[in-house]
Amino acid sequence: MTLLARDPRAPFSLMPSVLPLERRARGYDWVLIAAALALSLAGAVLVWAATRDAARAQGANPEGFLYRHLTNLAIAAVLMVVVSRCDARLLRLFGPIVYVVSLLGLAAVFVVGTTVNGAHAWIRLGGDLQLQPSEFMKLGLVVGMAVLFAQRDAERRSCSEHARDEDASPTTSDVLLAMILIAVPLMMVMLQPDLGSAMVLAAAAFGVLIAAGVRARWTIGLLLLTVLVAVLAVKGGLLAEYQVARFSSFTHPGQDTQGAAYNVTQAHIAIANGGLFGTGLFDGPQTNGGFVPEQRTDFVFSVAGEEFGLLGGAALIGLYAVLCWRGMRIAADSERAGRLVAIGVVCWIAFQAFQNIGMNLGLMPVTGLPLPFVSYGGSSMFAQGLAIGLLQAVRRS
Amino acid sequence: MASRRRRGPGARRLTVVVVLVASMMLTLAGRLYYVQLLDPNKPVQTAGRLHDGTIVVPAPRGQIVDARGRVLVDNTSTQVLTVNRETLLALPDEGTSVLARLATLLGSTAARLAAEITPCSPRVPAPCWRGQPYQPVPVATHASTAVALAVSEHREQFPGVTLATVTQPNYPNGTLAAHLLGYTGEVTAADKKANAALTDADTVGRSGLQQQYDAVLRGIDGKQVVRLTPQGTVAADVAGGDMPPVQGNTLVTSIDADVQKLAEMSLERQIGDSRAKGKRATSGAVIVMDPNTGRVIASASYPTYSPQQFIGGISKANYAALTAPDSGDPLLSRAVAGQYAPGSTFKLITASSLVAHQQIALDGSYACPSSVAIDGRVKTNYDSESFGRPLSLQDALGYSCDTFFYAPAAAEYYADQARVSAGQKPTEFLQRTAAAFGVGRAPGIDLPAAEQASGSYADRETRRARWTANQAQYCKAAKRGFPDEPDPVQRAYRTALAAENCTDGWRYRAGDNADMAIGQGETTMSPLQLALAYSAMLNGGRIFAPTFGWAVVDGAGRVVRTITPKVRSRVPVPRSVLNYITDSLAFSRGWAVSGAFAYIGSPYQSLIGGKTGTAEVFGHQDTSWLASWGPLSRDATGNPHAKFVVVGMVEQAGTGATAAGPMLKRIYDGLLGADGPAVIPGSRPETVLPRIAPQVRVTSTPAPRGPTIHGERRQPDAAPTRPIRVGVSR
Repeated sequence: MTLLARDPRAPFSLMPSVLPLERRARGYDWVLIAAALALSLAGAVLVWAATRDAARAQGANPEGFLYRHLTNLAIAAVLMVVVSRCDARLLRLFGPIVYVVSLLGLAAVFVVGTTVNGAHAWIRLGGDLQLQPSEFMKLGLVVGMAVLFAQRDAERRSCSEHARDEDASPTTSDVLLAMILIAVPLMMVMLQPDLGSAMVLAAAAFGVLIAAGVRARWTIGLLLLTVLVAVLAVKGGLLAEYQVARFSSFTHPGQDTQGAAYNVTQAHIAIANGGLFGTGLFDGPQTNGGFVPEQRTDFVFSVAGEEFGLLGGAALIGLYAVLCWRGMRIAADSERAGRLVAIGVVCWIAFQAFQNIGMNLGLMPVTGLPLPFVSYGGSSMFAQGLAIGLLQAVRRS
Repeated sequence: MASRRRRGPGARRLTVVVVLVASMMLTLAGRLYYVQLLDPNKPVQTAGRLHDGTIVVPAPRGQIVDARGRVLVDNTSTQVLTVNRETLLALPDEGTSVLARLATLLGSTAARLAAEITPCSPRVPAPCWRGQPYQPVPVATHASTAVALAVSEHREQFPGVTLATVTQPNYPNGTLAAHLLGYTGEVTAADKKANAALTDADTVGRSGLQQQYDAVLRGIDGKQVVRLTPQGTVAADVAGGDMPPVQGNTLVTSIDADVQKLAEMSLERQIGDSRAKGKRATSGAVIVMDPNTGRVIASASYPTYSPQQFIGGISKANYAALTAPDSGDPLLSRAVAGQYAPGSTFKLITASSLVAHQQIALDGSYACPSSVAIDGRVKTNYDSESFGRPLSLQDALGYSCDTFFYAPAAAEYYADQARVSAGQKPTEFLQRTAAAFGVGRAPGIDLPAAEQASGSYADRETRRARWTANQAQYCKAAKRGFPDEPDPVQRAYRTALAAENCTDGWRYRAGDNADMAIGQGETTMSPLQLALAYSAMLNGGRIFAPTFGWAVVDGAGRVVRTITPKVRSRVPVPRSVLNYITDSLAFSRGWAVSGAFAYIGSPYQSLIGGKTGTAEVFGHQDTSWLASWGPLSRDATGNPHAKFVVVGMVEQAGTGATAAGPMLKRIYDGLLGADGPAVIPGSRPETVLPRIAPQVRVTSTPAPRGPTIHGERRQPDAAPTRPIRVGVSR
């Protein structure tokens, strides 16, 4: 018995292994769906708790955000089901389309976008309906890169007689092509400027690169390059002032409790206030008092921390762990393109969750990022529904 | 631990990702554990879930009453319409329809109202709301009954709109005593810097007694403590934290409202009469004071204004009208702050000086020609009158002969010049006597320093100092002329004056001394100063620091402070000389005293004395003066006494006998009860402080900025004064 063994009859082994090529189609990963659904429903409750008092104080419907969140969830569920019923092999066909359409969406932001909290990242569709293309770009990039590597691999295999190892490292040209795929949306997102989404894109791409077997010197080199660019961006004034302020308030949290660090300080107070069991649903003074700005979106985790305590917060983290574990299992069981997609999705969601919860806990700098499945927000909910659907499709193919 | 399957590079790569993801999740879990359970320095919300906000309940200002306890300034309650901005913003249309309805009612526009209720900030310019964001904003003071009814009857149409009853200073007698009462204004940033206890809700005195006794009148603001949600809306009133405001103390003045009214009416009538006779009669003033105590009984100035205009902030148009160049400067209190050439009324001081310094003898007679030449310049009597015979000082004062006084004034000048040439100090008796009578020094009355004129006279030292300071300017002006001056006569006069000042401006001449002797030249006094000088003549030489305020009475009706005029100085003139002058000017002497003719035949002619003055002002008609006193009486030692000193002045109205004389006669008619009962009981100044009833306990409710809510005055069916949230719709 080994932790790395992968046997259909031993479904709960921790580490996935790589199966031989021939495999049979399987059904839905209900554990994955359950985890995603649990997170989403928890999100509904937390968003409700975060918004009801303020909404009531303003004379609005206290359940308004709950209903809208549930509506988003329903739409996302439909998207998930539709995508999960597709054959993952269609990816090679649809992958480039998904990538290009996402990119066009990003480009459209610059033409018809609206600005929220400093980032020019939204497209107003009329009424309250807004779309944030960078959420879909995450999916687009993962799919695009996966298809690229799989396609190049397949081409090489069909051209050369000797069968290449499926897991052979991509060639330099593959990597450079992938760099272009990454760089274009990354630059556009940075220009919005939406630093959080850029970091998630980079993390997801980084995951795909590792999973694709890009040589260590590339990955390490890219890491160094990222750090270099980041330093230059901060020093060279490429970042907006508020972004630098967020970073410096992250490194010196006590300095400015009313400005950039205010969100973090208030979220920190809320979470610390929760203790082991939390104050109980709807009983968090910090939440009810509306002290934490952006609480229904970027700081939704602070509601869990305050009202459900360590148990609630840890449960959320646990659910992400389960989600990632199931995603990894799907990756391990899939052929190349599907595996890269799964790894990309896992890295995306894992990093976004880490970044979001991390900033709630004062571990990471503040960037405007929703907590996957939990935060209020249509675009991210839909994109994550599509991602879960994609994982199911990969698994079922 | 051998794998049953081959561990390919793919598996290794997955392991890397797994490790990364797992470490992220573990990091989060660990940090969460630390933050929630381990952290020894857990942050806590110090602000609390709800915090308290204080709404200032401004104290009603104290009353100002007259010497008989009659109200000069009190408070009045008005209906103020306030808007709670938060309530409006919570409405589905963010209150636009409510504001539109309100705008129709108030004759305003919804946009204007919306601007008025938006809290001020660097990005929100006026009109905007300067108070606390959570306080209801007053949008209409003095709401009419129709507006009040419309709002209270249709509450559902006006959510967030509240009627509050507030108190404001009120001048029930309109313009009566406007100049001395003064006006109030809203608190400015400078006020708050000077006095940290002030809030935007307060009203401060800006002029007159309102300013001088501001600390007495202001009272102590109350407060209402409300619990605020973090969004800044009022969640609940906090019991126990409230403090009712304490109304300011009452200021009892020595003003007699009836005498004041009489003085103002007589002044206004005289202005009309003089104008009817073709005089310009631009302005005038009357002072009535008690020469024995230094208390002022009436102080009238024309033109006047209504201090009521300043309540709740004066409108730009009204202020412009009050300060326009052709408005005649109605804000100026001419009785106290105006200074004018006193003309012959100054001869009290000249005569005192000449006799006291043995320059003329009381039993001597001196010439009164129609003109005398001093330093080659011919100085004439008024209208070049002359008496063929030498006059005693008594007749010189009575007939008001100018040339009589020129000779000794010039003689004094030459004697002083001899001393200066010998390296000695000049005696300047005339100047020293003028100073002793209070000329050139603020009278020290209980009004703001900027509102009392000190008057002036010329002497060698000041002349030289002024010339040193201004010589360059004089010479420049003489060279350039006055091209801006439209009147050619004025232009020539000013240019010649500048040329003379340029070269000889330092010189004090004999003519200057002669001018001063008859209250001309650079000699100026305010009507109040003249009244103080004549008071000294009648009270044995005491110069008072006069007062309007008499006592401060607290809310319980207790006198907390009595204000008594202090004797600032005594004039160095023997009582016998003062008595001589008094007797010389008694109207009982009939035609021998100029100005008496208006009083000849009146039942009290023998009780009055007075000195007329006709001051010449270059380019203007003469200023008409009468400094008078009465009713006269004598004490056991034969010293004359008077109960009142009355000084009247009308600018550009002609001789003292033709304008100021009849004007003051009407006042004496009232004071002495010549035609009906006397306006002042016993025809003497009030000597007993009036009883001031204790204030009714004020139960206040939070008021918007400025005015205060005066609970006991609220009508029973008035809307609740507490800001209430009506019809918060879902």
